[in-house]
Order: sequence, then C-alpha cells, then structure tokens
Amino acid sequence: MSTHDLTLMAHLLRRAGFGATPDELEIYAARGYETTVEALLNPGEAQAMPDDIIRRYHVDQSELRQLDGAGAYWLYRMVTTQCPLQEKMALFWHGLFATGYAKLNQARALLNQIDMFRRSGLGRFDSLLLELSKDPAMLLWLDNQDNHKGAINENYGRELLELFSMGIGHYSEDDVKEAARAFTGWTLKNAEYMAVRASKDSIWPYGRINWHFEFREDDHDDSDKTFLGETGPFNGEQIIDIIARQEATARFISQRLFQFFAADEIDVDGEPVVEAMMQSYFDSGYAIRAMLRTLFNADYFKSAQTRYARVKGPVELLVGGIRLAGSYRRPTLGANQLAFQAFYMGQGLLAPPTVEGWHEGMEWIDSGALVERINFVAKELGDVSKPGIRDLIFRLDAANDGPLTPEQLVDQCLALVGQLEVDADTRDALIEFAAQDGDLDLRGHQPGDAAETRVGNVLRMIASTREYQLA
Amino acid sequence: MGANTQDKALVVIQLSGGNDYLNTVVPYTNDLYYDLRPTVHIAADEVLRLNDTHGFRPGMEAMKQLWDEGQVAVINGIGYPKPDRSHFRSMDIWHTAEPEKIGTEGWLGRVIRELDPSGENVLTGVHFGRGLPRALGCRGVPVASVGDLDTYGLYPDMQDEWARKAALGTFAKMYGGAAGGDVVREYLGQTGSDALKGADILRTAPGKYTSTVEYPDTGLAKNLKSIAQVMCADLGTRIYYTSLGGWDTHSGELLTHAKLWHEVSSGVGALMADLKAHGREDEAVILIFSEFGRRVRDNGSGCDHGSGGGAFVVGSAVQGGMYGEYPSLRLEDQLEGDLHFNNDFRCTYTTLLEQWMGLEAASIVNGQFEQFACF
Amino acid sequence: MSPQVSSTVALNYVKTIGIVNNGYNGRGYANPYDVAVSRDGRIFVLNRCDPARASAIRIGVCTLDEDYLAEFGNGYGDGDGQFRLPVAMAFDSQDRLYVTDEYNQRVTVFDTDGHFLSKWGVFGHDAGQFDGPAGIAINADDQVYVADQHHHRIQKYSRDGEFILQWGEEGKGDGQLNMPWGVAVDTQGDVYVADWRNDRVQKFSADGEHIATFGGPGQGDGQFNRPAGVAVDAEGLIYVADWGNERVQVLGPDGGFLQSLRGQATLSKWAEEFFAANPDEWEVRQQSDLVPDLPPHLNTPYHISSQTEAYFWGPVAVSLDADHRLYVPETNRHRFQVYQKA
Repeated sequence: MSTHDLTLMAHLLRRAGFGATPDELEIYAARGYETTVEALLNPGEAQAMPDDIIRRYHVDQSELRQLDGAGAYWLYRMVTTQCPLQEKMALFWHGLFATGYAKLNQARALLNQIDMFRRSGLGRFDSLLLELSKDPAMLLWLDNQDNHKGAINENYGRELLELFSMGIGHYSEDDVKEAARAFTGWTLKNAEYMAVRASKDSIWPYGRINWHFEFREDDHDDSDKTFLGETGPFNGEQIIDIIARQEATARFISQRLFQFFAADEIDVDGEPVVEAMMQSYFDSGYAIRAMLRTLFNADYFKSAQTRYARVKGPVELLVGGIRLAGSYRRPTLGANQLAFQAFYMGQGLLAPPTVEGWHEGMEWIDSGALVERINFVAKELGDVSKPGIRDLIFRLDAANDGPLTPEQLVDQCLALVGQLEVDADTRDALIEFAAQDGDLDLRGHQPGDAAETRVGNVLRMIASTREYQLA
Repeated sequence: MGANTQDKALVVIQLSGGNDYLNTVVPYTNDLYYDLRPTVHIAADEVLRLNDTHGFRPGMEAMKQLWDEGQVAVINGIGYPKPDRSHFRSMDIWHTAEPEKIGTEGWLGRVIRELDPSGENVLTGVHFGRGLPRALGCRGVPVASVGDLDTYGLYPDMQDEWARKAALGTFAKMYGGAAGGDVVREYLGQTGSDALKGADILRTAPGKYTSTVEYPDTGLAKNLKSIAQVMCADLGTRIYYTSLGGWDTHSGELLTHAKLWHEVSSGVGALMADLKAHGREDEAVILIFSEFGRRVRDNGSGCDHGSGGGAFVVGSAVQGGMYGEYPSLRLEDQLEGDLHFNNDFRCTYTTLLEQWMGLEAASIVNGQFEQFACF
Repeated sequence: MSPQVSSTVALNYVKTIGIVNNGYNGRGYANPYDVAVSRDGRIFVLNRCDPARASAIRIGVCTLDEDYLAEFGNGYGDGDGQFRLPVAMAFDSQDRLYVTDEYNQRVTVFDTDGHFLSKWGVFGHDAGQFDGPAGIAINADDQVYVADQHHHRIQKYSRDGEFILQWGEEGKGDGQLNMPWGVAVDTQGDVYVADWRNDRVQKFSADGEHIATFGGPGQGDGQFNRPAGVAVDAEGLIYVADWGNERVQVLGPDGGFLQSLRGQATLSKWAEEFFAANPDEWEVRQQSDLVPDLPPHLNTPYHISSQTEAYFWGPVAVSLDADHRLYVPETNRHRFQVYQKA
C-alpha cells in the first residue's frame, strides 16, 4: 500500500481513535478506508483488559472510593481497547455533557455515566438525551433533585438547552422554565441522603453508596406546558422529542462533532461538511453513527486541510503515547498515577471544572501543561525497554540492510510513530540531533545498548515536536 | 514598610483536608471544649499559651516563638456563607473567591495578571508542587509549577547531563523556528520557548543560594527552602504557593494532627529564620489556610468536616495578635453542629492585597470586604 | 475418615465490625483483604489500602467486642515488615502470623504482637519462587501452602520457608488451576483451593493429589463467579467467598450446596459513634430505603452491592475461629461480618 494510504489511515486513526502502532496501521490500511470507517462505527467486542483481572489487582478500582482509581479504570480501557472510536465517543460526550466529581464525590456513578456513553454514544441522539436525563450523576450535578412541582430548579432545563442541544439564541427563558417543569420528579433514589453525602464527601461508615434513577410521580408537574411553540402535558420524553426535531440541535451537534473529530476551527470549507452532517442527522433519524460516517468519508476530512488541524487533548496525548509504547498491558502498580498525570496536563478525567467542560483546542496549552505533556510522551517513547518501542526498533532493524544515515533514521522514525509530518525546520533540527553520533548501525543490537538508546533519543525528540502535540 | 512594593511577596501555604481549628488554637479554659471533645482534645497543661484563654497545640513551638516576636496574626472564625463541607467544592471557593457560584478564575491568577499584565516575567507566580492549583489558574497567565527545583524543566528523567543538554538544545531550535503563519504552531512555539526560558532561569536559583539555616527534613520544608532560594535569586517572583496534605483527620487525629503541625510550624520557622539571615524578612508575608475547620463534637477517634476555621498571616511586617472573634462553642451559637464563622475569608484576602501587595482587591475577590488592621 | 455429612447448616448473623478509615492510623479499615483469629480470640485484619493511602498499610487488631487493641505493619515498601500488595494471612500453631504480598513476591512472618520475625520468597519461575503469591493456609504440622497465582500452582513449604513440593499448571482439567487465590486446610490435612478464574473450588490431598472439584461458572446455587476465598470447618463444611457473585456459599463436605449468604450488615460500634457525631446524616439516612430495586442495566451482583449497604461488597476471603464463627471481610465496605454456626 502507498504512503498516501498509510498517511490517510494514520490521520483517521488519530481522529477516530488514539493513533495507531505500525502493526495496526498496516492491518487497517490493508482493509481499506471505507471498510475501516465502518468497522470503527460498529464496534464489536472491545477486548479490553478484563474487569476481574483489574479489580483483583487494583483494590481501589474495585471500590472506586476516590477519583484517581476511577480515572485509572477508564484509562486502562482506553489503553487496551480494540474499539477506539467507542472510547473516543465516550470522551467526546464526557466533554460535552460534562459532569464532575468535585460536587458529586461519587466515582462509580460517574463511570456508570461513561458506560452509558459507550453503550449509546453512537446511536440516536434523542435516546442518548433521554438516558442522560435519567442519569443520576447528571441529575445531582445539575440539582434536579431540587426541581419540584411548584418549586422548580431551572439548572438542568437550562443546560439541556444551552449546552447539551441547541445552544443560546434558539430558545427563550420561558422555554427554560417549561422544560424544567417537565423534568420535575426526575431524581435519584434516596436523593436527600445521597445529596447530603455528596455535599460532605461522606464515605462513612461503610464507604460509598452508589446511585440510580427514580421518578417521583407525586413530585412531577403533569400540567400543560408550552415549549418551543408546542403545547401539551409534556414529560421529559416529549421535551426531548421536540428538541431533537430542531434544526438548531442538528447544527449544534454537528458542529461539536466536527470540532472534536475534524478541526478545532470550522472554516468556510468546513461549513458544507457541517451541513452534510446535519442532513445525515435528519435522514437517519438522529443517528450519530450516520453523522460520523458522513464526516469521515467527506473529501474535506480526507484532504490535507484537516491534517493536524486539532490540538490533542491531554488524555488523547497520554493514551496515544501509552498505546504506541505498549505500556500497561497488564495491571500495573502505580496505574492510578496516570489519572494524576492527565490532571497535571490539564484534563482531569471525570473532573471537568464546570458543566461547560474543558476549553479545548489551543486553550489546552499553557506553559505548565506543555511541560507536563512533553515530559510524559518524551519519557514514554524514549524508553527502549517498553514492548511497543522495542517493536519499532526491530522494524527499523529489519527495514535496513546496513547503517542508517541521520536523515533515514529521522524519516523512518517519523513514519513509525504514525506517519508524523513535520515542517522543514523541525526536520532539520531532528536530523542535526540525530547526526551528533553519525550513522547508526542497528545490526546485532542488544536491549538497552548504545544503538537502541540512540533510537530512543530520536523518538524522544519526535515526541517533543510541536506537530506531535497536534492530531 | 521595609521593602519596596515591587519586592513584596506573598507566600501561600495551603493545608489540604480541613485543619481542625479547635485543636490548633485551643480554648483551654473552656469547659465546653472538653465536654464536646471527650477523646480528641489537647490537655490544658500541654497548650502553648498565647494568652489567658487560648493557646497553640504542642508541636507548634516555632510558631509560638514567632507569636512571641509579634509576627503572627491569628484570624479566628474565618469562613464564608453557606459553608460547604466537600473538600473539592470548599477548596474551589477559597481558590476562586466565589462562594455563590462556580468561579472560573483563581484569585492569585488574577493577582499575577494585575502585577504583570503583559506576561513579561513568566516567573511572577511560582507553584511548588505538581499540577496547577485553581487559585493560580487564569487563562493566559503563565505560572511555573515546580515539582523539584533541582530538576525542574524538560526531560527531568534524563540522567545523562550531556544527552539532556543536547535534547534541550534541539527543543529550543524546534520551538524557536518560524511557524509559517500557522497560529497554533506559533503559539506552541512561544509557549514552549517561554517554558524553557523560565526553567533555565529558575534552575539557577539553588546555585546562587547559600545559607546557614538548616531546614527540617520534610516535604513542606523542602518546598519552603526552594521558595527561599527563588526569593534570594531576585527573579521578580511575587506569588509563591505550596501545600501540605493529610489534614482530613476523621480518625486517629491526635497523632496525625500533631505531626502535621510540627511539619508546618518548623518549616515556617526555618523559612523565617532563613529570610532574616539574608536580610529579606521584610519581603515576605505568609498566609496559611485550610478549606474548612472540623466539627465541634469528635467521633471517638477524630473529627469530621466542619466549618468556621482559622487562618494565619505570618511575617515581620505583620502586627501580631488575635483577629476576628474566637467562635462560641455553645450549642445555640453553632451552625449545624459546626463553629459559626464571623469573618469572610475575602476580608483576609483583601487585607493582604491592599495593605501588603498594594493592589485594588475588589475586582480580584469579587466584592468589597472589611479589612483587618494587621499591617 | 469421612465426616458426618450435613444436609443443612444454620449460620446466624452476629454483628458487623468496622468503619472506613481514610487516615494513617486509628480504628477502622482501608480495603480489608483478610481476617485471621488468633488462639486467644484476637481478630487480625489485613488492610490492603488504596494507593493514595498506601503508607497506611497495616494490620489492625481488635476484639469481638470492637475494642481496637493495636495495629502494626511498617507501611509501604519492601523493607522488613513492609507491604506493597498484601493478599492473605494465616496463623500457625504458635500464633505466628504469615502474610503474603503479591508485589514483593514473598511471605512475611510476624509474632503475635506484630514484630517482624522473618521472610522468604523472591520472584522467579523455579520451585519455591513466586509470581504473585496469594492465598495462604497452614496445616496442623505447621506446613505452609501458598497459592502462586501467575504460575497457576500451589507450593508447600516448611514454616521456615523451605520448599517441599508444588503442584498445578494452567488449565481447566482436574488438578489444573487458573490464577488460584484462597487456600484452606481441613482437619484431615486435605487442601482446598479457590480456583479463581476457573470459577470452582478444588480439593487435594496434603501432597497435591486431586480429590474433587466443586462448582463451575454461574450465579446459581453451588456455582461461582471468581471465588476468591475458601475455609473448611471441623465438620468438613466448605465456605466459599464467591467474590464475583458478592456472596458467601456454604457447601457440604461432598460439595453439595447448603446455604448462600449475601450479607446483612448492621451498624458497628464505630459506625454508631460516627452517626452520634453527625446527626444530620443520621436523620436523612433514616428516611431512606437502603435496599432499593435497581434498573436492568445495574442489576448485577456488583452493582446491587454497590447500592445496598448491608450486602457483601467485595468479599475476598472467609475465615473461621475455634468457636464456629465465620468472618467475612468486605474489601469495598471496610468491615467484616460475623456469623455463628449453630
């Protein structure tokens, strides 16, 4: 297959997943682009690290009393899954329907929400909104347990319209109130006790108690409401139906998906793609899968215009680096540190600062976060003892009959980390770095010897490039 | 007073977990204290007396010494309306100075922006610890987060000094290169170069520093020593931040609380002595705070989350003494089983910002608050 | 030779002891992984601890009356008497306590007051070496059996750690094992192994000859889902910590199903002290239904136990004392429940 095929596939997998190892790249590219898109959109068995193996080893991930264990549990999944788009979708919805630990102090409930995104994240958008509206973590996060017949709390109603579906300007304040009325009674079991425990971060006496949805009929306002011009004794389901029908909803979701999967900014050439996604939304009965199919198969997406048009989020960067290096294939002591690492980089999983989620794109980058990001991936990719890196070294050795010039070393390493494209100045700096020790002879290399270390150092510098920070 | 305004630095020490204020500033003549704390109390004869009614717990000998020298202001009964007893939320409130809604900017991030609007000095604010506390977080405001001053910067895992230097050199080239008009790469380049520059400058601090003062062998003391090193290197840093965790003493409190205060007190004592030895005692004021106090009643082994705690402002520029009111322990005065706060923490922030840092506080702390006369 | 076969058993709930301890010392537990009772009736609880509190790793000692007597264990690390990932413990005839550590790859021996005595074990694939030592049991002759998890075998040692014999290899057949966890010995000296990933319990002679296999995968009576612990009483009744099904099952000596327990915890003394100091929580708790019905997607043993505080959550071991009491430590609830055999 051509370099073009590999480059395109690498781009798809960076976007729809967390990048790809050379093995994965070859397998996917051999299947072909459209086939791979379909396989990604229809995830089968994730074959991630088994839950029982994880929980036997990591007692904190069995109990989930604290946040770092929960973050690590999800990271294990992201690192070992064979269905990367499923995890990417969960990450996308987590950023959009941002629900945070700080107020809830309930990691199990948050992971259950993520599970719901995994289950339903590629399906119908209205079904997803309905499940979200019954998600106890979301309900408590937006105070819906305080939303009572005759004494409404507008928080969920507002954010549902403003942040989760249509966006500001497409509804009135009255619509917010009416939506809130429709969701009265949508609460969680034992809401009062659970809310007190959440507010006090109570783990006493016997650890955390998890949550589930409860509909309190006697607390539900079942009288007529007028919402977006329609009138009826709406319950939450009907509100969602009306929302799903709106063009504003189609546009909002299409834009968000575009920005997460295609490019941080929607330029004039991206607009038609957004419109096409909106069309797919309606044609397919609100199916996210169909929208993504349209996006991934669009010429715009496949063109050079979208190459590296996104800044990788911290979790993307972290997981991509780990998958390439082949770490954490079994339960490993200290895995919870990964959750802290993502937090230091600016994206604490399950702990977005507010319901608006994280500020993405260029805003991921500040001097502190950048240092943490580079230090992590540089160390990961520079470690020649890691199985994935050893794989790259063996490939380098096998692909060359004799010593490599600095140019060959750099160019081949750039290809091995995922067909990375860097600008001329960067490439020159890398070659100059590689040239310090002249040509590289990998023949007869031994684990950790000088030749392997040289490869590790080049990979370290590649991980440090500006381009590696982009997807 | 002694120092120029631009030399004045604020050192913030965060006690994470909820410091038990009742066992820090002990009301040793109050019978109610002993009634409500049958197990988890400090005996009257062990207290380091500040006056006829209150004293520090044992372990705080160095702070007591500073108190005797008039350099410790105790802010009694500090808190905020509708106290939150969740660590994350309450700490966020202290960090963003926003008790009512979710704040988006850290108060010290705003301070740094006030002090250096164009971000000329990337070392205006330095955090000693990993990650960035929300207090320092403000979009567009660079803050260095230093895990270990000796190895701070890029590639701390590279043992080979020569190889590390080569790597840093290449990094500088890659990030200094033209970005071909691409806004994102431009920004990455600028940020990376700033980080490199900041790290290079910071790393010179330990080398320039000498001292006769011995710091205790604790994590906090190490960070406080790093603060002294950076201060003595005159890098223009105005805000220093560090923290010590472990204060969430629901059980086994007596032992743990003693150890923790010994760590803080001896560390602060060493820092103050060090600054004095360098003739810089006028340059720094230390704020010690925690996100809430603990319950009035103990649970048999420790105390659970409460509210209405205490804070400390320490420095040679400080007028030592008791500020605020020591909260009443009587049931009718309590707030849902907790001590009732009597001053908003933003009063203390305002005091520090206006009287020490010479800044207008209102826009930083989201309102006007009464100040203490402790400078 | 063959003990009296019971067709019924009456196990009565006695009490719950424990409370979560998020700190570095003091009464309470942090992810208890095993319980062992000394000859004089002191109850020893092994805290595995989550990573954020790893430095608090220790063994806590209390009485059945919930007096917290002592704690020992030199914290986190690989020095003498330290732990990283402790799994299980057992007393020998002299009340010396043997504790396995699956990260430090060794067995550590303490005296009954918690002082470090000795240790043995290193990582390796040879006889006597470990890759993940888990369950441990000691017979009347003070010979020690250790489940060697990733080698899928049981190893037998003298009490000084001298290797005697081993048996087992990875597989599903009789005598084969898959990541074995708990081990127990009966009065006849036969050895029982919680064959974790094979979802069954196997019985062997003192030297590893296969005698019987009990159970298989499932949620029904006599079936298991990742059984983690096993204990055998003087009558030959077999108790199994059926971890994945969040329950304890009791089988007759022939493996026939007798009883299933899903836990019925009540407030321990320490829990009551907590609520006395926190009446606001007590009040709302009183208004709550603490045994709720769960929606379909959460209707699994793990999820049910995560929301039903009284049920076992994470029962990783079962232990017996000389007075026919059963102890079940729950690693996710930071307590253990006590049952009395009638």
